[in-house]
Parts: sequence; structure tokens; C-alpha cells
Amino acid sequence: MVRLRFLGFRLLSLAGLLLVLSLVLFLLQEISDADPVAATIGGNASPEAIAAARERLGLDRPPVERYLAYLGGLVTGDMGTSFRTHRDVTTDIATYLPATVELVLFAFVVALVLGVLFAVSSLLRWPLAGPFRGLLFVGSTAPTFLLGLVGLVVFYQLLGWLPASGRGGVTDGPTGMTLLDSLLAGDLAAAGDALQHLALPALALAVGPALAIGRVLRSSLTETLGSDFVRTATSKGLTEPQVLVRHVLRNSVNAALSMSALQLGFMFGGVLLVEGVFTWGGLGSYLAASLPVSDFPAIAGVTFVLGALYVTVNTVADVLQSVADPRIRVS
Amino acid sequence: MTDTLARGGTTAAAPPHGPVTPEPVAPASPGPAPRRWGLSRRRSFARSGRAATVVDWTLIALLVGITLLSVVSPLLAPYDPVQPVGMPKLPPLSEGHLLGTDAIGRDTLSRVLAGLQTSWLLSVLVTALGLVIGSVVGVVAGMFGGWVDALLMRTTDVFLSLPSMLVAVAVSAALGPGLTNTVLAVLVVWWPYYARIVRGEVRALVARPHVEAARLAGAGWFRVMWRHVLPGVVPTAVVTASLDIGNVVMTLASLSFLGLGQPAPAPELGADTSRNLVEILDAWWIPLIPGLVVMLLSLLSNLAGDAVRNRLVRR
Amino acid sequence: METAAPPRPETPTAPASEDGPVARLGGLRVSLERNGVRTQVLHGIDLEIGRGEIVGVVGESGSGKSVMSQALLGLLPATSRPVVEGDLQAAGLDLRTASDAELREVRRTHLGVVFQDPMTSLNPTMHVGRQVAEKAGSAEEAVRLMRAVGIPQPERRYRSFPHELSGGLRQRVMIAMAVAGGPKLLVADEPTTALDVTVQAQVLDLLGSMRDELGCSIVLITHDLGVAAQVADRIVVMYRGRVVETGSTRQVLEQPRHPYTRGLLASRLSLDSDRTRPLWTLPVHATVPADEGCPFTARCAFRQDGCSAGVPVLAHVPAEDDGGAAAAVGHEVACFETARVAATAAGREELDPLPPLPEVGTGAPLVAAADVACTFQVRDERGRRADLAALRGVTFDLQPGESVAIVGESGSGKSTLLRVAGGLEKRFTGSLRGPSGTDVQMVFQDAGSSLTPWMTVRELLHERVRDAARPEREERVRAILDRVGLPDAVLDARPGELSGGQRQRVALARATVVPPKILLCDEPTSALDVSVAANVLNLVNELRRDLGIAVMFVTHDLAVARIVGDRIAVMYLGRIVELGRAEDVIADPQHPYTRTLVDAVPQPGRTVVPLAGEPASALDPPSGCAFHPRCPVALAECASTVTGIQLAAVDGRPTSDVARHEVACVRTGAAR
Repeated sequence: MVRLRFLGFRLLSLAGLLLVLSLVLFLLQEISDADPVAATIGGNASPEAIAAARERLGLDRPPVERYLAYLGGLVTGDMGTSFRTHRDVTTDIATYLPATVELVLFAFVVALVLGVLFAVSSLLRWPLAGPFRGLLFVGSTAPTFLLGLVGLVVFYQLLGWLPASGRGGVTDGPTGMTLLDSLLAGDLAAAGDALQHLALPALALAVGPALAIGRVLRSSLTETLGSDFVRTATSKGLTEPQVLVRHVLRNSVNAALSMSALQLGFMFGGVLLVEGVFTWGGLGSYLAASLPVSDFPAIAGVTFVLGALYVTVNTVADVLQSVADPRIRVS
Repeated sequence: MTDTLARGGTTAAAPPHGPVTPEPVAPASPGPAPRRWGLSRRRSFARSGRAATVVDWTLIALLVGITLLSVVSPLLAPYDPVQPVGMPKLPPLSEGHLLGTDAIGRDTLSRVLAGLQTSWLLSVLVTALGLVIGSVVGVVAGMFGGWVDALLMRTTDVFLSLPSMLVAVAVSAALGPGLTNTVLAVLVVWWPYYARIVRGEVRALVARPHVEAARLAGAGWFRVMWRHVLPGVVPTAVVTASLDIGNVVMTLASLSFLGLGQPAPAPELGADTSRNLVEILDAWWIPLIPGLVVMLLSLLSNLAGDAVRNRLVRR
Repeated sequence: METAAPPRPETPTAPASEDGPVARLGGLRVSLERNGVRTQVLHGIDLEIGRGEIVGVVGESGSGKSVMSQALLGLLPATSRPVVEGDLQAAGLDLRTASDAELREVRRTHLGVVFQDPMTSLNPTMHVGRQVAEKAGSAEEAVRLMRAVGIPQPERRYRSFPHELSGGLRQRVMIAMAVAGGPKLLVADEPTTALDVTVQAQVLDLLGSMRDELGCSIVLITHDLGVAAQVADRIVVMYRGRVVETGSTRQVLEQPRHPYTRGLLASRLSLDSDRTRPLWTLPVHATVPADEGCPFTARCAFRQDGCSAGVPVLAHVPAEDDGGAAAAVGHEVACFETARVAATAAGREELDPLPPLPEVGTGAPLVAAADVACTFQVRDERGRRADLAALRGVTFDLQPGESVAIVGESGSGKSTLLRVAGGLEKRFTGSLRGPSGTDVQMVFQDAGSSLTPWMTVRELLHERVRDAARPEREERVRAILDRVGLPDAVLDARPGELSGGQRQRVALARATVVPPKILLCDEPTSALDVSVAANVLNLVNELRRDLGIAVMFVTHDLAVARIVGDRIAVMYLGRIVELGRAEDVIADPQHPYTRTLVDAVPQPGRTVVPLAGEPASALDPPSGCAFHPRCPVALAECASTVTGIQLAAVDGRPTSDVARHEVACVRTGAAR
């Protein structure tokens, strides 16, 4: 019962956050100097045409009404028309979203693997653990786009191991995610191609988050290992794997879990920087093209969709945490 | 019957080391190594002693040095950063152009020095302003508690729950290009971190008996805050801020990379990379060098931040 | 030379066999690394634990008793890079050379351990039953063990998390886990320190019965000789990493031969300590330990020049000075001056009596509280909003210059009453008259956290005399330091550089540099070693006499209450159940609960009959008299008394002035 109430509370605050996000975007749209009328019908239209366009776009109505209309649009999946492509923003986003989600999810898996390696290699003395940690630390201080560029020069130009741009594998499958579609089609060669195309951008995106996750995991593992109840578990004569799995891991994952969610969210921001470098046809490229022409419906649409993904991921992490640790439901 | 004064390092309740039989420090017999179970605790980076002090102070000096450098860096530029001054696409270490030239023959070193100034000074400015705003909000929330705390912290929570990078992009896009707008956009998403951290520290300190004891001693709320709370917050805040400059450097560079900084042809580290992306396979140094400078700044801030922590926590 | 333990002919040196000792430490030396500095913690411990024996290991902080217990379990923390030398065997296994698998096996089947704080020692995210089952082998066995250690409804509790249980139940879970598998040796490291007095008696009782049922040996680590005396067959007194005296409980208590043991015994508070004189105290730790010689020299009343020459080793107490050979068997002491100590009567030198107390007025009270109630909004263990009734109608007064000790277990509301009376807690109903502002001063349990860590002692003390003229300030600060017995040198120290006792003195100095009308003390001695605590109690008694301050002193320890309180108020679940002059309350307790508390004070040579049950939760106080579910003499009406039970004067006692004795019980007198 308490768990259900916790869930309800989290869902409610999720809705609240989405509401705030929509309000922020609406207000930004209000203060931005982009002129939707000029953008839709051109700068040299007659005053009558401008007035008609204003009415059609609802710009003559009071702000509250316009916000409610905007909100209603968001709920029904209508995010306006892009000034640049003159298509529905929703349609555009639906076109580009799968590529971005695929890249982010794959990068997240890479970040988790690297993060766990980082944490564990700090606790165990593996050969090469030191250089690995050092490399990850230095890499995490580089801006994402620089990592992409260095990867490009090294793995494409110098070594010729990986492709430089675009996506590979099956590109017109049902999910829009090339690796998944290739696997669904049973085409392993295509899957390999998709993987090759994913590798560089995902790695560039993953390095920073990997360090953040790894550090948090390391410190909570260290803390748990020194705790009284681990001493108790040892004194019971449990084997090391038993102590680790039953007593250490569950009490250490929480901090790492919320950091992972946070980083997954950050990746939806970082993807903007990577896609440009690798001409990855996702939301990042779409947004990058919209920014210089102040295509605000597109900018707001992308921000809202990625922002919604971000807050949803964090909410899911919160709920997962409460499953892992019974005390969270209390406090 | 009186306690003798315990000071400095002599407080340890260490048993005497007998001068007759010095305590062996290593196992006397070749018995098994001291038993350790499972994972051993991290000991790397556990620098100690004089060497650590020297390294820390060097890093802190570098942090100060880079700030001073960035104040005067345009004066050190050999050429006008916005005018073509040589052959295009000269590689680094070319004569007269230490870092080469870009696609239209502008001196990369001059552009980097100019970009360094905006990048670093603005980062320091954003961090400082974020720290000040966040501290004021955090201290007020933490000291007063109750509904003031609830109101301020719920607001902060909302800010922290939204994706900072995306919001900064949206704000920056709405406000239009320009340095002031970029700074504003980053600041909007930056202060809540400090508010949260400072408030947490203040709450923890206020809950300690020493604050109640200070009130009983007749200290008013201002004195309590000034003498009994703030000094405990400063180390955390300073360490957080110095570790954070690197993040701001990267965020500003990222916005600039997306074209949300100053309009061309102003020299900017992020934008100089993105504008020259097409050169990456042809003349890789043109887009790479500005990015590397961002990385160096960020790396320095991270290392120096750790050094600041080591020095402050040592006390 | 200091580690040269002579071969002791009476003990077998062969590895433990089936009927040999359960554990054997021979010349055990352990050094640990702390903050990069290696310290020798144990300097050659010789100890054998016999089959079915309960050994109480007693010492103050820094004696190495906990490190010894960890060594005995092979649990020395790897992070401190322990170096172990000497002989270390438990349950027939040489712990120094054993493989990991052997060590695990012996821990699982032959060793059990109970740590001090059951909250942190249990995994917070695992059902307690599963944690027991991990050692017991099966869920059924775990439930059986949980029932055996007295956990009610073990099937239901099996699926509880540690934070959902009370402290006493948690410790029972730890004990169930420890005895799983029928161990040969149980190590209990301060198992009762975190528990309430009545629960402490239960847990000690339980440990004793576990030995009787399972035949296991128990090593009981404690700082309190009284606790050890209650259940131990044999007592080992440790000082700075060495055993200084060992013998049967009777020998150690009745014929202590080491000056340190004598000091511990003499500075132990009991219910018949002399209240008219300052408490006898052992000189506290010298900061810099002597570089050579007997480590106790600096604090020793019997020291001679020869004591610095070497470290005394354990030797048999000569039989003749005990009056018979039989009495001395197993009684060993490490002291050069045994003969002189033996020749001196056990006891203490007489101290000058305290000056008589000024007559406490019967006029207008300093604090007058009537029907004060105090309820806090909290969340219960399942996360629901709940009302915590900290005070449920308290009527109480305090005369100027008077000292009242408030006694109760955790959750009794004693600290809340203190804070309400001092005007520090404003969320209450009922009427209250009393001083406020700087007329009220307080000293806290943890002196360290009550002093601002980055301010020097001078700054802290000056803060209180800011009203005085500038030149006068330093003078007054130095005067108060002198009064609390601290050298001027501490003025420039920060709290972190002082010892626990010094910090509490600084706190007292700050509270009294401008004498307040009332001094609130919230367990100021409970975190201190016995000898340091006695010093602080003496200081409180001196200050109130010299400065004419009224004192409210909260404590869970009746013996402490008796020393500092002219009157004692006993609280149970938010109410005062008994109030009267200290000597009346202790000597002639009227309330069954007070009776229990008096009985629960660990006192050598007295059997304690523990009270069943645990303090009810303040979230859900029982109806009527809150004590009735645990009360041995409760009547049916005790549960149903609608109005609650009011304090009323005990028959035949004065009713009006401070000498009155009141009790809140329908069966007044039945306690006797």
C-alpha cells in the first residue's frame, strides 16, 4: 500500500514537471524574438494577410488562452508547424527520434559497462586498471564533440576500422533503430554494420557518464564494504560472492542507480553535440539545423520530447530505488 | 585529576613504543600476509606528505595563473584574430604560426587566446554568480526552515528535475545569440545545484547542538549564521565551485558549438570547432585545437578542484 | 621484554582438542594502521577461554578490548592492515594460518558474534529472518531460533526489516544469528551499551541462558564492570593493550590486586555511593603515554621509581596474602607493587565532604509547569504520519538552586521535558512559567558537537561575556577556566584538539561563565569513560553549590541521578510516574517501574530479575497507566483508568514542600 502511494506520488510529480516544462517552453516562445507570422507567410506579406495569419495562429488571443491551446496541442500530439521544414513538428520528431533513442540507449549500455569496470578496477588491483581509470578521467574532461572528432581521426582516418558518418544496417525497419531492425530481420551482417556505425558516437557520448557512474558506484561500494552489517555477514561464515551479492551489491546500487538515470538524462542533451559530428540523422541534427533559423516550434518540440524522456527516466529510477531499499518508502 | 592538554598529533591513545624492544612493524615471522577478505579498499591516489602538498599548491597556482592569463591573453595574441594573416590551413608549428592557420588563413593561436579569455572568464563568472545566488537561496532556506525552506527548495527541485543542457539550449535560443544571453541561459540552470548543496550543509549544521548552544549563549540569528554556520559551509561551497568550473567551461563550449554563442567571426572555442568541422579529414588540427584547449581548461579545473579539497579538508 | 610472556605451566600448550580451551591467545600482538600511522594495539595478550565459560573483558576506551574480540573472530579490518603475531586459536583452528575456507567454516559452525549496535550490524535491505537463516541454514531453523531468543511471533517477524523492530528485538535477532549452528564460542562486543536499562538486563539474562542451554563459551566485552559482574564467571581487566588483572569474578571484585582494577571499582557509581562527598576519581588518561615502564604509571597511586623500569607481566597473586591457596587459583595480576597493593585496604582515601547545600527555598518556584503536553508529527516505521506523544501531561516545579534529576528510558520524554522547562521547545500545551534567554544554559550529551568546531575555546567563551567591558572579558574567561580545572593553554585550542572530558568541561565553562539561573544537562556523562564521567559529575555538583544554580539533569542511569539530584523524577512514556527526594525514591521506590529501574542497576553481587517486555512505543501509548502491560502487579483497572493516573502524595509523607514523595499508581505501596 505504501509502495502504491509512493508510486502515485512519483507519477503525480512527473505530471507536474511536464506541466512546468511546457510552461517554461511557452514562456520562452513568448519572449523569443522569432516571428511566427513572418516565418509562415514570409516577411513581405500584406497587412491583411498578416492579420489573417495571426488569427489562424491564434496570436490575437490572450496569453493564458494561448498557453492552454499549446498545452492541449502537446497532449494531443500537436506541436505546431516547423518554420523551416513546413511540416508538423510531431511528424519530424517521429522521423528522427528512433535514431536518437537508439544512439542514447546504446551509449548508456556502454557507459554502464565502463562505469562498472571503473568502480571494480578501483577496488581490485587489475593490471591496466590504472591506465584505464586515467584515460577515462582525462576523457571525461573533454567536451563530447572533441571526443567524437578524435575518435573520427583515429579510428576512421588513421586506422580505418570504423565508418565516419551516417547509420548502417537496416534503415527502414519497423522500429527505426538500425541495430534492432537488423537483428529482427535476422541479418547479422547488417547488424554488424549498424554496430560499427554506432560504436564511435556511442563511445564519445558514454565516456563522461561512465566516469560519473563509476565514481558513485565506487564510493558506495567502498562505504558498504566498511559497514557493520558486512562485518556481520562475514562473521557468519558466508563466502565472498555471497557477501557481495546478498549484502554489498543491493546496498550499493542505489546511489549508482540514481546517478545512472541522471546520466541517461544528460545523454539526451549530449546527443545534440555528437550527432552533428557524425551526421547522425537524429533529433540532434534536426535541432542543430533549427537553431540558426530560430525555428522555435521545432526547438520547443525537441526540447519537450527529450525533456519528457529525461524526467520519465528519473522517475523510473526513483521507483526502482524504492524497490531496492525498503527505507526509501519511509522517508 | 585534571585532563592534560591534548594537542596536535599527540592525542592518539597510542601505547608507548618500548625503547628496549622496538615494535616490529612488519610481520616478524614469514607467516601469511595480513588477512584481508574480499575487495581491498582503494589506496591509489592516496597521496600523502610533502609531495602531495607541493602538487596541490602547484595546481591551485595554475588555476590562479590561468585566470590571470585569460585576463591579458588577447594582448599576447601575435595577430588580429579575425583577419586572415597567412596562408590557409597551415599546420601547427609553421613558421610564424605556432598553432597553424584556419581555412581562410586566420592565426589559430590568436583565435585560441581570444577564445580562452571568453571561455574561462565567463565560466568563472557563471560559477561565481551561481555560487552567490545559490548560497543566498540555500542559506535563507536552511536558516529559516519551515515554509520559506519548502517554497525555495520545491522551486530548486523543479529546476533540478529539468534537463539542464536542453533548457539552456532553449533559453539561449529564445534570448537570441550573444554572450550575455549565453551566460544567462547557463546561469538559469546552474544556481539550483549550489542552492541544494548549500542548503543541505546549512540544515546539517543548524541541526547540530552547537547552534542551539550558540543561541543559548545569546547570539542573535545573524551572529549564529555568520559565526556558527557559514564558516562550516564555505569549504564545501568552495570545493564544489572549483570542481565545477570545468563543467561550466564544457557547457559554454557546447552551447557555442551549437551556434548559440557570439555570431561569427568572433573567436570562440566551441564555435571554432563546429564551424570548421568540414576540415576534420583534411586539416584535422583546425577543428581539434580549440576543442583541446577546452579540454585542458576542464582538466585543470578538475585537478585543481581536487587540490582545493585536499587542502581544505586537511584542516 | 614487554612481550615476554613466561611459559605458564598450568595451561596446556598443545592445540585445542575436544576438551581443551575453546580459544587460546598466546602472546598475541596486533598492530593496526590508522591514517597511515601504525600503532601497536595489543601488546602480548595471554588468555584462554574454557569450555562453557563466560569471560567478561573489561576496559576503558583505548584498552584494545574490541580489537581483541575482532582478532578472536578473524575479523580485523583489512583496511587497517593488521599485523598479527603470537598464538591465536579459536575452536581448534589457528586463525593466523587458516585458509579462507577454513576460516569461513569455523565462523559458520563454531563462532557467533553480537555487536554493539544492532541497527547498523543488520543488513537494512534484507528481512531479518533471512539474515538469521543465512547462518541457521533454513527458514524453519531461523524461526525456531528467533522463538528461542524470545522474539514474539517469529513467523511474522521473519519478514520484518531491521528498521521495523525495536532496539531490544534487533539485538535478539543478532543473538539468534550468533547462536545459530550451536557455536562453541560467542563473542559479544558491548551488546547492551546501545540498549535501555531494563532491556539491557533482559539481554544479559538471555546471553546467560544461551550458555546454559548450548554450553557455549562467551566472551563479553564491556566497559562496565557491573555488567561483566552480572553474568561472567571470570573477569579480564585490560589496560592499553595488556591484560592487567584476571581472575574469577569474585576474586576480581572482592580482592582486586591491580591499582587500575581498584580504581575502576572505586569510581564506579552505585546506589550506595556517598552523596555528601565528591566522587572518588581515577586520574584520567595522561595525554602522552609514558615511553617505557608500566603503562599505568602516570595514573597510579602506588607508583614508585622502579615502575618505569619495565613492563610488569601477569603473575599469580601470591596465595598467602589471600589467606588460602584455593582462593588465589587463576587470579593473576600484572603489577610490580602487588604486595603493597594487597597490604592496603581496598577502598579509597576519604575526600573532604562537599559543602552543605544552601537551604532550598519553598517560595516561588523557578520553573512551574502544569499539565504540559507535547506532541510531534512524525512518520512511523511504515512511513505513515503519526503523532508522537513526547509529553502527556506533566506537572512539575523546580525551586531556585535546586537540582532535579530526570530518569527514564529512551522515548520517555525526559529530554523533551528538559527542553520545554528551559524554554527551548515551544510546541507544547499547558502552562509554563520559567526563565528564558541567557538565564537558561545547557550542556549536551555530545560535548564535541555542542562546540562550534572552527572556533577556539577563547572565542566560544568570549561570546558569552560580550556584554562585559572589554578588559574584563579575558579575566572572567580565565577565571571560569580555572574553576572547571582547565589550563589556560586550552584557550587557543579548537574543540577537535581536546579530549572528551575536556570538551565537556569547556561546555560547562561556557554555560557558567555568566552564572545562569538554571543549568540543563542532557546526559552529559553517558558518552564518557567511567573515570572521566565522575570528574564531570563532581564539577556539576561543585558549580551548582558555588554559583547557586538550579540544575535539571537528564539521565538514564539511576546511580548518576542519585549523585546529582536533590530530587528524582522518574518518567515513563511521557509522564512522571514518581517524584521525590533522591534518597526516598531509591531506598523506598513506590512505583513498580521505579522498583524495576532500581533492580536493573548492575551491581556486583546482586541478581537482577529482568522486567519482561520493552518500553511501549510513544506513537501508540497503552491506555490508562502506560506501564500496565509490563507491570508485575497490574490490576484490570490499570488499563481502563480513563483519566490517566495522576501523581499523588505517598501516605504518611509530607505533601507540601520539596520533601514530598509522589507516585502515579493506583496500587501505591504494592511495589514493595
